[in-house]
Amino acid sequence: MKVKHFFVLICVVVLALSACAPEQITETAAPVEEETEEVTDVVTEEVTEESSSEGEAMPQACLDDAFGCAVIPEGETIKIGMGAPLLGDYSMFGIDISQGVTMALMMDDGFEGWTYELVAEDTGGTAEGGAAVANKMVTDPTVVAIAGHIFSGSTDAAIPVYDKAGLPMMSPSATNPDLTQKGSAVFNRLAFTDADQGKAAADLLFNQLGFTKIAAMHDGGTYGQGLADVVKAEFEELGGEVVAYEAITPGEADYVAPLSAVADAGPEAVYFGGYAADAIVMMNQWAQAGLNDVLLFGCDGTYGVEFTEKTGANGEGAIAASLVPPDSDEKVAFDAAYLEEFGLEAGELSAFTWSSFDTGGVLIAAIESVAFVEDGTLFVPRGALVDAVRNTDFVGLTGLVKCDEIGECNASGPTFYKVVDGAWVPLELVSE
Amino acid sequence: MINKIKDIKLTSGLILRLLVGLIVVIYLGWRIFQTAFSEGTYGTDTWMRFLIAGLVIGGMYALIAIGYTLVYGILFMINFAHGEVMMLGTFAGYFILEAFATIPMPTEADPELMFLNARPVIALVITFIVGAGVSALMGYLLEKIAYRPLRGAPRLIPLISAIGASIFLQNAAQLLFGPQRRQYINPDFLWRGTGWMIPIGDKSVMITYTGMFSFVLSILLMIGLFILVKRTKLGKSMRAVAENKQAAALMGVDVDSVISKTFVISGILAGSAGVMWGIHNGLFNHYVGFIPGIKAFTAAVLGGIGNIPGAMAGGMLLGLLESLGPALLGLDFQLKDVIAFTILILVLIFRPSGLLGEALTEEKV
Repeated sequence: MKVKHFFVLICVVVLALSACAPEQITETAAPVEEETEEVTDVVTEEVTEESSSEGEAMPQACLDDAFGCAVIPEGETIKIGMGAPLLGDYSMFGIDISQGVTMALMMDDGFEGWTYELVAEDTGGTAEGGAAVANKMVTDPTVVAIAGHIFSGSTDAAIPVYDKAGLPMMSPSATNPDLTQKGSAVFNRLAFTDADQGKAAADLLFNQLGFTKIAAMHDGGTYGQGLADVVKAEFEELGGEVVAYEAITPGEADYVAPLSAVADAGPEAVYFGGYAADAIVMMNQWAQAGLNDVLLFGCDGTYGVEFTEKTGANGEGAIAASLVPPDSDEKVAFDAAYLEEFGLEAGELSAFTWSSFDTGGVLIAAIESVAFVEDGTLFVPRGALVDAVRNTDFVGLTGLVKCDEIGECNASGPTFYKVVDGAWVPLELVSE
Repeated sequence: MINKIKDIKLTSGLILRLLVGLIVVIYLGWRIFQTAFSEGTYGTDTWMRFLIAGLVIGGMYALIAIGYTLVYGILFMINFAHGEVMMLGTFAGYFILEAFATIPMPTEADPELMFLNARPVIALVITFIVGAGVSALMGYLLEKIAYRPLRGAPRLIPLISAIGASIFLQNAAQLLFGPQRRQYINPDFLWRGTGWMIPIGDKSVMITYTGMFSFVLSILLMIGLFILVKRTKLGKSMRAVAENKQAAALMGVDVDSVISKTFVISGILAGSAGVMWGIHNGLFNHYVGFIPGIKAFTAAVLGGIGNIPGAMAGGMLLGLLESLGPALLGLDFQLKDVIAFTILILVLIFRPSGLLGEALTEEKV
């Protein structure tokens, strides 16, 4: 009898142990997503609208502007603010993005003798940090625009503060779809959301690649499942058929069974929302599961050198999305300049290097379209600048930047890549 | 009075078992009926793929499960660090294969040729010997350091020690080798994703070379173990120690050395399974032994712990259940572990001694 009890005890221990099985592989290849902490009280300060100090007469354009003007005397710099995680676990994102924006500001000749300067403050990647940085930024009268913030939570907390002060924002990396749904006039972003990506993927699958029957798979995570759901809904809306929808457990070594079940439904392509680690295992078992002639279509979590390295010949022909722009002369020149300036390859710290460079470019273009000099002082009408950023029409490294009415500015969407001879090649360059 | 209470207890237990049994039978019948008659049934080729995947993974579970059973049979303890013994075998095999892939052996036809592909069989044999050797050494040390000092302690104490050893080894491997995923470099003829194509109907099913290789090797190792236990002097003394330590000692069997050798044998099997895991599945990191360890323990209990054929059958059965179960029941494939552990609980309710029964009877304990 003792033995039986002992067994039951052991089995309970085993079940408990397996319940807390370590998440085998964690990765942060995908868009920056972080804890969505609720910020209860965002301190919003009334900013002195009249930043003109000595009481001298303001130009008419400033008096007409809803938020007044930023007044920048000779010898000062035009400041662009940034709230970014510069220290701690996520510092690589903040450092990379601040360096990308710095490159844009450095490569510009300045405006009528005034040069640009980036003022980056640490948010720690948190909502509280985001609110604190925003409140600090609005007290500096020479800060005219904000590049950022970087994480969605910290951006969310900062938007109301900048909204009151009339500081236009352009975030290269905050992907949470809700951010642009709150009716803020100042918030814009260059990052594409997961919804955009799913839409673009479904469109590519149905309209350009001509598939009518696909399967959707995901790893059960918020990011992966979210993408797979968007693709499924969009693809069906376009008139295609989603013949199988299957989830896998991330971090396992054998996906032959779920893949075989998907193969049995006869899809022409399989969309996968999830990270490279699982996509690699799946790709290596592709033929085993009877998916020989079926395309694997991944997301920006799937994209990366690791995928091509570890799938070898098995990965040939797979497609994935990425926010890394395709190579162009400008990109090559930028990469070289970045390497020289910071001693790092562009994209080594995060995938946002290029979009942050474009963020800087967009803000400079907007400032130059509204700023004017009078009596040796530079005036930047704040309200006009907010509109100018929203009305951006800019071609950068990442393609066309043109904002819609809610501030989604990534007009070109993700870039899709295909594995050709063991390397990711932009889809439009693949000749077939 | 006492008799009466005993009677009531028995009947309530019986009723509970009957109830659970009834629910399970009705549910299974309903699900299988649904799968069989709904439109979503899979084709023959798909069932073949499930079957093949199940057999390959089952073979590896069986090898690891034997390690649990051997140790339990002799010491009546569960060696929870067994999965980590396998993990170290996987790492050892990886480093050897990686080294072979960088030793140049140029020929006239191919100046780029490396030892790995020039002498693939020798390379694989050495890899398995080193992988199994490292795991065997680890098993030996584990017993010496973590279990032998606790030989006389109550049974829960070595169990805790085993869990501690498991966590220690996992973290040590992470510190030594880093947390990143690595991938096995196979010789060309065993490349992952290649295999024989078996035509079934108008489709064809692939039996991968790595899968076939792992399956055949695990069967051979199991036959080898069976012969060792049944036909050799060491096997005889192992059985004697399992039956009664004191009596075996009185008969002149060196109990300590037999226990050490048992750990070495289970380490050899786990190490081989670890190298197979790497060759067949490719990607691994320091957590590679954790889940297979838990699954293999389940397999050992399923077949009847302490019973070697039971562990083999349990491993195979668990592998098949995992790949066929969700399909048969028409459930999500994410639920395969739920199915496997539910089966374990059911077996414990209806046959606490496992499917093939424990090798020892209760009076012996």
